[in-house]
Amino acid sequence: MTEHLTKDPYNIVITGVGGQGNVMASRVLSNMLVRKGFRVTIGETFGMSQRGGSVMSHIRVSPTAVWSPQIPKGMANLIVALEPIEAIRVLADYGNPSVKVLVNLRAIYPVGVITGEDEYPSEGKIRETVAALAAEARFLAATEEAIRLGNPILGNIVMIGAVSGLGVLPIDRELFETVIREWMPAARVEANLHAFAIGQAAVALKSPLPQREV
Amino acid sequence: MSMDREQKEGAEVLLMGNESIARGALEAGVRVAAGYPGTPSSEIIETLSRFSEAGKLYVEWSTNEKVAMEVAAAASFAGLRSLCVMKQNGVNVASDFLLHLTGSGTRGGMILVSCDDPGALSSVNEGESRHFARLMEIPLLEPADFWEAKEMTRWAFDLSEAIRNVVMVRSVTRMSHASGNVVLGPLPAVTAKAQFLCDGPVSDPDRGPVTSAPVIQKHRLQQEKLRKAAALFEDSPFNTYEGPETPELLIITSSACTLYSREAISLLRAEGRAGILKLGTTWPLPPALLKRHLRRTEKVLIVEEVLPFLEDQVKILAAEQAREIGIKTFYGKNDGTLPMVGELNPDLVAAAVGQILGIDPPAIPAEYREKLRALTAALPKREQTFCPGCPHRASFWGIREALQRDHRGGFVCGDIGCYAMASLFPAAGFHTAKTLHAMGSGTGIASGFGKLGPFGMEQPVLAVCGDSTFYHAAIPALINAVHQNADITFIALDNSGTAMTGFQSHPGLDVNAMGEASPKVDIAALCGAMGVPVTIGDPFDLIGTRVTLNRLLEEPGVKVLILKQSCALSPEKKVKKRFLVRVDEALCRGEACGCNRLCTRIFRCPGLLWNRERKKAEIDEVICAGCGFCAGICPAGAIRSEEAAK
Amino acid sequence: MRDWESDPAEQESGKGGQKELDEQVLGAGLCTGCGACVGLCPYQTVYHDRTVVLHACDLAQGRCYAACPRTPTDLAALRSRLYNETVCTPELGAVKGFFITRATDEGVRRRAQHGGTVTALMALALREGLIDTAILAGEGEGILPRSITVRDPEAAGMQGSSRFVVSPTVAEFNRVCLGNAAKIGVVATPCQALALAKMRTQPVSAAENGIEKLHLVVGLFCGWALSWQKLAALLKKKTDLARVTGMDIPPSCYHTLEVYTTGETIRISLDEVDPCVRESCRTCGDMTAEFSDLSVGSARLPEGWETARSWNQVIVRTERGMDLLELARRLGVLEFRATPPGNLEKLKAASLGKKRTAAIWLAGRGNTAERTGQAG
Repeated sequence: MTEHLTKDPYNIVITGVGGQGNVMASRVLSNMLVRKGFRVTIGETFGMSQRGGSVMSHIRVSPTAVWSPQIPKGMANLIVALEPIEAIRVLADYGNPSVKVLVNLRAIYPVGVITGEDEYPSEGKIRETVAALAAEARFLAATEEAIRLGNPILGNIVMIGAVSGLGVLPIDRELFETVIREWMPAARVEANLHAFAIGQAAVALKSPLPQREV
Repeated sequence: MSMDREQKEGAEVLLMGNESIARGALEAGVRVAAGYPGTPSSEIIETLSRFSEAGKLYVEWSTNEKVAMEVAAAASFAGLRSLCVMKQNGVNVASDFLLHLTGSGTRGGMILVSCDDPGALSSVNEGESRHFARLMEIPLLEPADFWEAKEMTRWAFDLSEAIRNVVMVRSVTRMSHASGNVVLGPLPAVTAKAQFLCDGPVSDPDRGPVTSAPVIQKHRLQQEKLRKAAALFEDSPFNTYEGPETPELLIITSSACTLYSREAISLLRAEGRAGILKLGTTWPLPPALLKRHLRRTEKVLIVEEVLPFLEDQVKILAAEQAREIGIKTFYGKNDGTLPMVGELNPDLVAAAVGQILGIDPPAIPAEYREKLRALTAALPKREQTFCPGCPHRASFWGIREALQRDHRGGFVCGDIGCYAMASLFPAAGFHTAKTLHAMGSGTGIASGFGKLGPFGMEQPVLAVCGDSTFYHAAIPALINAVHQNADITFIALDNSGTAMTGFQSHPGLDVNAMGEASPKVDIAALCGAMGVPVTIGDPFDLIGTRVTLNRLLEEPGVKVLILKQSCALSPEKKVKKRFLVRVDEALCRGEACGCNRLCTRIFRCPGLLWNRERKKAEIDEVICAGCGFCAGICPAGAIRSEEAAK
Repeated sequence: MRDWESDPAEQESGKGGQKELDEQVLGAGLCTGCGACVGLCPYQTVYHDRTVVLHACDLAQGRCYAACPRTPTDLAALRSRLYNETVCTPELGAVKGFFITRATDEGVRRRAQHGGTVTALMALALREGLIDTAILAGEGEGILPRSITVRDPEAAGMQGSSRFVVSPTVAEFNRVCLGNAAKIGVVATPCQALALAKMRTQPVSAAENGIEKLHLVVGLFCGWALSWQKLAALLKKKTDLARVTGMDIPPSCYHTLEVYTTGETIRISLDEVDPCVRESCRTCGDMTAEFSDLSVGSARLPEGWETARSWNQVIVRTERGMDLLELARRLGVLEFRATPPGNLEKLKAASLGKKRTAAIWLAGRGNTAERTGQAG
């Protein structure tokens, strides 16, 4: 874990599909960073998000300044994808040679794929593409882990844990617990902590999850 | 994750722009808040509703924006601070009353918050409301960050009381739905008693009746108020300048565009060449402030969304002051330096600034860009569609079946709500919905179509309308259709909530914005009272819907069909599936079937997918909402649904 | 004159899906409402007596198009595959025998329009196990018949009156095929019989269609059918639709449609009825349901209409048809009487007349006729 940011602002994109808890993930992460004394801006688009569209949150983190809710093109430092092809979609606009990418491998098919009109890229192809475009790429079976914990929505927290495990931001389990306790019924805290720990360990130890570095 | 009562004064918290506006109103001692839900504005009233308390803060979701403004105005007339909130389209609805209100003036501080949606991220137009401030001759404030949103809202109440008129605060999606650090201020103890003093003479602004007459006198008075506001704006802390003393380029901007402009200068490393005059008070513009800044530069770029509102005002001032400030070169929307449609972003502003100053924005290495293009080209698009288990999908399926059977080219006039998707994405509505305009307009348009029979029009005319939209604006249109004896079939898609914007209460429900029990107004009874036949159906009953519709389409006059089924995202539906749905492997004939993938290709429910390897349909159990409707559409009967255990 | 079938060379190009079906048949006003394209897939259905497209299907080749009796068909090939060519006639198709019959059971005759032969034969076929399911045109709503499926010979015996509006019999056949019926008998108009014959000769999808369950086709002579919408509009001007109990057309010298209501018999001039005739019927050259096992129509007898109306004339076309008729004779289900001399020739002339008229209508439709391949 670092106390300092490698960039000012440090630009994070959390991406996924409506209903995956993207907004929640970006709020949790940002609240942790605000507690650390950073200026954070989250930009979100969630008007029609629950209806199958791509959802993206831009998080700008700075020690001093308020930055725009939209990251300039090609300027993401970290991409957290709750859905695999969304990682590629975001890379297309915000990728650069030094970007780090975390990918939840659970696919959510677009309507065109559901209907058989479009083809969804294979997992191998997705891994290959992300790895080719990122300085560091990690792939997690976050949704499967979350289902094992009893609720697929916890996949977003597994991914936040993975962000912590990556060590690029000054966030840890304690801080997560402080934040999560503030807005969650006590009964749900335990599962969230568990999810966070799973994600954190997966990236830090590079193996207990069915993930591998490419 | 949102602001709550526990958070203390002085705490620095992460607030969404809308929460910050709500906090500002609370810190100003707002007593009455009313609005109508609409993205991106809804969270303001939602946040305030969590602070509501009898006698301290009254919050309501009004039937529509005009009513919301009337409700808020009454509080102001009674001496209380009040707020009314809406999205940009709402101001159009409220504008009739607003023009009268701004003529009559207010007493307790009254703020109109309008949240615009540049780029129409969740709207069917990107019309902007700033022009109303000019049209209505009231002051306009535009916050440029999250903290300022709170401070500005708080101050707007003071301004309103200083000039005794409504003050408009305008936000945009990237402000309302973005979040940032905000330091909380104190919440005042509010005690003022509500009383409408109205026994004095008309000329007495404190004790007289409140009207916009005598018009000429009141209008003159209104303009004096506006001049007073302009004078106050000269020293406003919401107008700031950052940059060199004599910038090569002066950027004049407001709202979220301030952040884009700052980012653009940073991207171009042009801090020494360009300065930003960030305006928080954008109407009327403070002339002396503008003169001071225009004097120091030759080139001026105005960065704003969406139309050249500031640009026009700045140019007028520059023309008036030309003798003193000299001739300037203006860049902005009118000359095409920035696009006049859609929302802006740091890249567009950087491109504009770079073009003027001759600086190339930073680019990613060509080799990487090439790789990016090659590897990311063919991604499947994410088309928006109705949610799994959405009753609207079933309703439109039934409508399609009935219209095709009827065979006279019938069509649906669409309206605003989730079901607008039927008009926006034809495949989602099975190609039935053919118009889409303002709230309630589907019914009004249908009413007009329904009178074209004598001109030879033989097509049956349908209008759809959600429950919240029904109360908002469809009632007058439906009454019109009834009274004019238009030939239409009106379908209320009643999903028991304002689903599109997050289940806000509306008059059809038995609970209000503050969570109190409220009398509900029944759609069927209302329509019945109009004297037309009303049928209530369940959209998940396909045959029932289709048979009923085919019968109604044959009948003259206005017929009402209420398709009632609660939203798939409603709390009670989300808890559990009604049916366990599966595809029977043995019965699904896959590509050998003549069905040509009807269940997936046409029906398009995200819970039902086509397995390309196995060439058969299957249910995605994580996504399927268990409505069971698809079991009725498979010609081979391969989709089986069984009632889930209680 | 070329027969109203297509050149075999056109066959390949004649393949199509819903798009072609819509262009050449539905949109061209040539749909017979037989229901052949319904139930094979979910994209078409019959509403009232009209075939409607529910959703767009983009398959390049569909069973809807292949089974449709109004898409290009090599009738000669079809005939040679299904019939003994030595008995084929150019006017009436296969003719193994020609008879005048009526149901022995007076009750059946009373309920039936004419001699009750069809009703008696279907009931017999069910009773003897030649078929286990019969598909007939039965009472629907108002003047709109509906296809009904019966397994009980008694129930079959209850049906029988003539219909002037088509019911989607082939759609009902397609539906019944999905169930557990094993041997299905169908009472079919000429277009419906042709659709069934086309389905029988489609090699790939025959099993899918369940067409092997088709064990008997009793054809009905048919001059034309009326459009429900148009007929309903016409009748509404004369009477309350709900009161109509039946209709008939006496021999052509009367030039009248008789409409029986609960109170009276309304006589409507055929000139008034003529605009109600389905466009597809005007272009149809098959009067006697040539693609059936046996075909039944009203008789023409020297004694005149009052006698003739209680008899049928029957063309037997296949072994199966002949066996059924002989069984009916043996068991006394049908009464036979001598065929008046010249009757078959008169029928041939009438059938030829219909083929000529159809060819003229098709020619009058210009290119459409060429495209459908039905031009003379």
